[in-house]
Amino acid sequence: MSVEIPLSGLADSFNQGLAEGRLLIQSCNKCGKPNMYPRYRCPFCQSNDLGWRQATGRGVLLTYTVVRAVPPLGFEDDLPYALGSIRLEEDVQLLARLEPGDEGDWAVYACDATVEFAPRPAAEIDKRPVAWFRLVGEDAPS
Amino acid sequence: MTETSATASLRVPAGAPNDPVFIGVGELESGRFPDRSFIAALTEVAIRALEDATMAPADVDTIILIPNLHSFDDQADLIFSRMVEELGLSRQAKASFMVHSGGSTSDNAVRVASGLIAAGHARTVLVLQAERWGSADLSEMVTMLTANGIPQEWERASGITFNAVGGLITQRYMYESGSTPEEMASVCVALREWAKLNPNAMFRNRDLTVEQVLGSKMVSDPIHALECPPLADGAAAFVMTSAENAAARRDAAVRIAGSGGCVSHYALAQDTDIGALGWKIAGDRAWKQSGWSPSDLQFAEVYDSYAAITTIACEGLGLCEPGEGARWFASGATSPGGDFPMNTNGGLLSAGHTGVGGGMALLIEGVRQLLHAAEPERQVEAVERGLIGGTGGTYMDAQVLLLERVEQGGGR
Repeated sequence: MSVEIPLSGLADSFNQGLAEGRLLIQSCNKCGKPNMYPRYRCPFCQSNDLGWRQATGRGVLLTYTVVRAVPPLGFEDDLPYALGSIRLEEDVQLLARLEPGDEGDWAVYACDATVEFAPRPAAEIDKRPVAWFRLVGEDAPS
Repeated sequence: MTETSATASLRVPAGAPNDPVFIGVGELESGRFPDRSFIAALTEVAIRALEDATMAPADVDTIILIPNLHSFDDQADLIFSRMVEELGLSRQAKASFMVHSGGSTSDNAVRVASGLIAAGHARTVLVLQAERWGSADLSEMVTMLTANGIPQEWERASGITFNAVGGLITQRYMYESGSTPEEMASVCVALREWAKLNPNAMFRNRDLTVEQVLGSKMVSDPIHALECPPLADGAAAFVMTSAENAAARRDAAVRIAGSGGCVSHYALAQDTDIGALGWKIAGDRAWKQSGWSPSDLQFAEVYDSYAAITTIACEGLGLCEPGEGARWFASGATSPGGDFPMNTNGGLLSAGHTGVGGGMALLIEGVRQLLHAAEPERQVEAVERGLIGGTGGTYMDAQVLLLERVEQGGGR
């Protein structure tokens, strides 16, 4: 049985994907199920034969909020910023940052809106390793 | 659904000598008390609970401590054994330890204490909590809270905060229920009406209106500043013992008719039903174990660090109609004089958020109501049965205790 993922390197692999503009989903090589957040053993079949696959990047925004005050230490200069819980097409979920709309705010968003992964520059991912998403407009490529 | 709790037939029946019961509670006023030391608060509230139980420290053989979240030093310390010394129980105490599930710790401490008593491993258990959220170092606390139920490697870099967690849940709840900002603000106002009757409540002397709530600064959409729980110092304690040991001590005690629980997630973003969380599952488990239904209840005390946290719980537990939780509070049904009193101490939102103690304060208020020992203006008339609902971390679990008053021969 191959062990593709070192037990210490889960976040490094995921974050490297973000820096390369790819959203990765951990995938069990034994039962085939996707895991998010990545796990050290597959929570469905307990296999440690785990790899990665690239997500389609599309999903549904389950809920969101705009943080306007009282951020954690070190996030003061980020204000305001928006966070959303997103269910990807692969039926796994993650917390992500949301890009503002054309008006510079997040009024365009709504629960159950379709969103897509929005790659960010590697330098930004190095500073804050977090996935970003944006609203899928009517004229967006599908 | 797999049955995860003990089945009714395996539980200690009402009236059995080893049936675990609450026999006393103690509490300190919530608010900002920078001069009140942590250990002093724990000691004082222990004595108050024991006096309420007509007991002395020497009657206690087990101490359970509820964790604090105000400082790294006090979190790392083994305070439970210090309390053995402070109460003069060295070599008399059989065990002292901590239980931790965040805001639902008090509910799980009840499970642990009652299990120890029913199985004969403990005779009398003293459960203690104190918190200094109102006067602790703010930067240390904010840092600690971003590590509390938030996966470090997957979510910390996003800048998530606890108010953001409340915002995420509230946004989904308002979307699903069609509740308006005014209706959400009304929940806070309804709780304030109870706080005004509670001498231990942080905001007992401060009026609150819907206009004030909606006029306050937006902190994390859709939550305004006055919809965030006020961080407070506070302390609470309760004593549990066997029915046999309790009988001679006071005219009534409070037993556990059943409990239910559901751990739905660790990280909020992993919850597949953020607008419902684990309440329906937890409630169904409690109804099944007790044979009760919502119509058996006369009041409830349900965790309320944000309005939506308690409205979601009320709906899942069947205390009100689905989707109607906020409008139910807005109608006055849960307020003083209403049909179904809710959070009669003012809740976390108005009595004060004392960290893990917020749920503890609701629990002991429920016990106090069932002992008919609340101040007269706050006491719900002739209550016999109530529900305690708790949740911890990023609302990772839903815990339900069904409590009932049992009359007994002794004491007061």
